[in-house]
Amino acid sequence: MSNTARRTRLAALAAATGIAVLAGCSSSDSSDKASAPSCSPAKGKVTLQYWNTVPGMDKVVDLWNKKNPDIQVETKNISNDQYGILGNALKAGKAPDLAQVGYDELPNLRTQNAFVDASACSAAGAAKSKFVPWTWSQTSFDGTGVFALPQDTGPMALFVRSDLFKKYDIAVPKTWDEYAAAAQKLHKANPKLTITFFDPNNAEWFNGLLWQNSAKMYGYADDKWQVTVESEQSRQVADYWQKLISDKLVRTDLANGSTQMYAAYQKDQIASYVGAAWGYSMFRDNLPKQAGKWSVVPMPTWGANGSSGDWGGSTVAFMKGGKHLYESVKFNTWLNTDPEALALENKLGGLYPAANAGLQLPALSKGVPYYNSEKIFDVFAASSKKIDTSFAWGPTQKTVNLALQDAMAKAAAGDGTLDDALAKAQAAALKSMKDQAIPATAGK
Amino acid sequence: MALMFLLAVYFLLPVYFLIVAATKPQGDLASTNGLAFSHFNLFENLRILFTRSDGVFGRWAVNTVIYAVLGAAVGTLISALCGYALAKFPFRGREFLFSVILGGVLVPTTALALPLFLLFSATGLVNTYLAVFLPSIVSPFGVYLARIFANAAVPQELIESARLDGAGEFRTFFSVAFKLMTPALVTVFLFQFVAIWNNFFLPMVMLQKESLFPITLGLYEWNGQTARAPLLQESVITGSLVSIVPVIIVFILLQRFWRSGLAAGSLK
Repeated sequence: MSNTARRTRLAALAAATGIAVLAGCSSSDSSDKASAPSCSPAKGKVTLQYWNTVPGMDKVVDLWNKKNPDIQVETKNISNDQYGILGNALKAGKAPDLAQVGYDELPNLRTQNAFVDASACSAAGAAKSKFVPWTWSQTSFDGTGVFALPQDTGPMALFVRSDLFKKYDIAVPKTWDEYAAAAQKLHKANPKLTITFFDPNNAEWFNGLLWQNSAKMYGYADDKWQVTVESEQSRQVADYWQKLISDKLVRTDLANGSTQMYAAYQKDQIASYVGAAWGYSMFRDNLPKQAGKWSVVPMPTWGANGSSGDWGGSTVAFMKGGKHLYESVKFNTWLNTDPEALALENKLGGLYPAANAGLQLPALSKGVPYYNSEKIFDVFAASSKKIDTSFAWGPTQKTVNLALQDAMAKAAAGDGTLDDALAKAQAAALKSMKDQAIPATAGK
Repeated sequence: MALMFLLAVYFLLPVYFLIVAATKPQGDLASTNGLAFSHFNLFENLRILFTRSDGVFGRWAVNTVIYAVLGAAVGTLISALCGYALAKFPFRGREFLFSVILGGVLVPTTALALPLFLLFSATGLVNTYLAVFLPSIVSPFGVYLARIFANAAVPQELIESARLDGAGEFRTFFSVAFKLMTPALVTVFLFQFVAIWNNFFLPMVMLQKESLFPITLGLYEWNGQTARAPLLQESVITGSLVSIVPVIIVFILLQRFWRSGLAAGSLK
């Protein structure tokens, strides 16, 4: 989600994150290693640590703290360098009880033994039915435990400037083929106009597109990870965007969420945006003058296959070293399924909930004034239900993302293709796993 | 002259941009010319800035003032005492000690943040006011400047006559030397004030509790959340503008001292 923030991370931070590692050496305390997770309530008052990146989360926690004097929760915002801070805290043995972890980082942290399996608490397993199915399959690693509870998701959809499509008399595309055709027509009608932009530095977004086409990045079989970053499905996606880039039908000079991007939209140079539910406020807040011109429609699909993709979203993970599993499960369940909590998270933090109850929030069933009072969240809810549940992230996702971005930037500059980017990312994933002695092989 | 003008424009442009951007509503940030005014929304921006998250920005501002004013004042006093002692009391190893202190000027404060964190972590001072305050009162450059100035501005005869009149060493320092050293001390104060005000790395390393943050760190944290909450961007910009105002005021008030102090340091 906050990929811009992640990208613009100060070099200084790299040094800062080194500190906690060093601190870990001086004060390593591994006494809790041996004890298996048990689920007995503590006697007396308990204080939990919960680290996250959500704006306004302290208010949500205040609400909980008022109602639960015996289970107090302290929050810490780790928006800047989320995984650096978490990784260092883990190494130092000072991880919080609960921490926000993106779906794509779960496998990586799991291989580093960062989580506690909360299934010792029956309440954790019982929460399964409360969440959108694909989210649960991610946090339970296909039912092998309960390592986190889903918090929010980023079901994808297409944001369109319906006025521009109307002006040039082009139907809003329903499939990717129609989308490419529309791209051509728009550009022909107005050479200054492109249908969208391709941000080569945004692997997370590209992964969402791969997800939609069931281009699973990893599998697990025969005690080995099967790396399938490069597959028939992923190549289909890559070839599609490569063609749009080669034909100059999409711009490649804009970074997602940048001022330049908003300026281009403001100047009517771009007609649509392939986005996710949590991004609905981006246009509303940055381009207020375009109120009424935007609509949200389902993401274009691959032929008859109507599935959708997910971009971003997070879980709240049970971290190793937490001493109060019973209380953590209690708070975590409330945090991510209670309608009152979900409503506040949505209002203050813009979270699009992963809980079924969250999809029925009053705020998410009303029309949104900026979007012509359309019920845009119905589109996202429908998208959420169509997200492939078998998609799996791997333990070296960060390496894959970096390799992808590196090669995609080159492809955007005319050096190589997006296909090459997939091949490079595949090779990088295999190499990184070999370096970490994780058994892996190229899947088919 | 033309060159001076160009340079002035070059240096003032970012400030101008900041002023312009702080007057705009969020919606105009990307969609209007960055260097031209649009809707004048400064007061609304300020209201939002100071009421956001229960007024946490005001808290950060108070913290910054505590760190910068108190830190610079105590730091200046220590520098003055130390520089005076080095200038006026001959003792074995004086020049060596002075060289070591001068060597400290060469070590960037950023490089010290790491070892300091480890020290403070061991003593349990991390995440307290002291974690930022204590390192802020140390200024090798201030000691250097104070020594040079004490040498030049405080005549030995004056000290001796004070002693003859029966004043103790501290009395001599505070009643006689301190006043003579004032221009240099104002320079030291300004240096320290600005250094602490702008210090970002040390608080980032030391502090976790939002309520202890200085403005720099608080704005940085907000900036990290703009992807989720776009409206924070305008508050970050308005907050940046607010945060430079006190520095400008202090400079304008103390600039004549600043100039004479700088010149003194360069000549002697």
